Amino acid sequence: MELSQALPLVRRGDELAWEFFVRFFQGRVFGLAYHYTAQAEDARDLAQDVFVRIYQNLALVPDEPGCLPWIIRITRNACIDHLRRRKARPPLWDLPAEELFDLRATDQNPEEAHLAAVRKTMVHRALQELTDLNREIILLKEIQGLGLEEIAAILEVPLGTVKSRSNRARLELAQKLCAAGMGG
Amino acid sequence: MNEPLLPPEAGLDLTRAILARTSGPACQRLHNLACAFVDGELDSAQGGLVRLHLASCPSCQSLVGALIETRNLLPALAQTNPGPWFTQRVMRATTRRPAPQNATDRRPLWWKLMHRPRIALEAAYLGAAAGLVGSYLPIPTPPVSLRVPAFVHPLGASAQRVKSQVVQAERRSTLALQQSLRPKAATSAEPRPTLWQRSSAWARARLRAFRSAPPPPAKGNEASPANP
Repeated sequence: MELSQALPLVRRGDELAWEFFVRFFQGRVFGLAYHYTAQAEDARDLAQDVFVRIYQNLALVPDEPGCLPWIIRITRNACIDHLRRRKARPPLWDLPAEELFDLRATDQNPEEAHLAAVRKTMVHRALQELTDLNREIILLKEIQGLGLEEIAAILEVPLGTVKSRSNRARLELAQKLCAAGMGG
Repeated sequence: MNEPLLPPEAGLDLTRAILARTSGPACQRLHNLACAFVDGELDSAQGGLVRLHLASCPSCQSLVGALIETRNLLPALAQTNPGPWFTQRVMRATTRRPAPQNATDRRPLWWKLMHRPRIALEAAYLGAAAGLVGSYLPIPTPPVSLRVPAFVHPLGASAQRVKSQVVQAERRSTLALQQSLRPKAATSAEPRPTLWQRSSAWARARLRAFRSAPPPPAKGNEASPANP
């Protein structure tokens, strides 16, 4: 079933279509929340909250071209709210980011899978060292694949800023990866 | 005669030396073009120049290598598996269920209100408020006339006369009691005193009596004759 076929059913409250919708977007929502929070459990709770919010506004789910940016906007807002709350009331313990990428089922052999996981972890750590705007531009453009106009609307910054920051953010990320010994 | 005059290593050193004395290294220019080069957006001439620089600059080579690596890796980070039970958790949190119809839900509203944890606090608050308001209200006076029903004794006139005398005596004593109980304010134009005012007057009277009483003899005065 295609997402475009499922969306009208989702808006009508069909539970099977809703389950398809959740399965279709849960990886993206959880991945984005994980990149923002760097905590798997927090990201899982946030992703669940995002789906509950979507479920409470099912009639507002847009059609396919605008569906992903809409979900990403909701996820980003939830993550920023969560980070503000965490900044105001930090947790008693703060564990480092878990190696979540091992959870993915792959067809690679174990050595390749391990190397890929190590590289993803390095990229994730390098992303955490970027400035907030640069990291968000990388997250939305390079990782989630959104267009420049959509990113400018989500981040509420001028389009020119997104354009100029986009390559600079990629370059900054590559420099951090070079410093970590990757890319040579 | 097409043989180069210098070996390749010496040629690179010479290039670096000349660039160092003229425009400086071209790495910054390459940084500006690196993303477009990786994305294949440069024309063939600019692409050739970039390739020429990369062949002789290891740091720019590693930078472009990292850019290529991230371009291949980043889209794969878009989706991360949230775990095997995530979908079930979301479905459990979002599926509509009818409200359970058990015995507790069929209880009346007053029962539910009475069994809230805050009911004792609310009752105490209301009681305190009622007491405060009541202390400022005027005290009601008994009715002016007390009706005594007519009494006819079935045994005879003498007994009825005695009885009427008793009744009249009771009426007189009741009226005297009413006169003594009736506050003076009821007859005058002044407002009736409240419980608060009465208690304040009582406290003032006690204070006056305490002040007017002679002070008790001090211990030092008693001991003074013994120890002059």
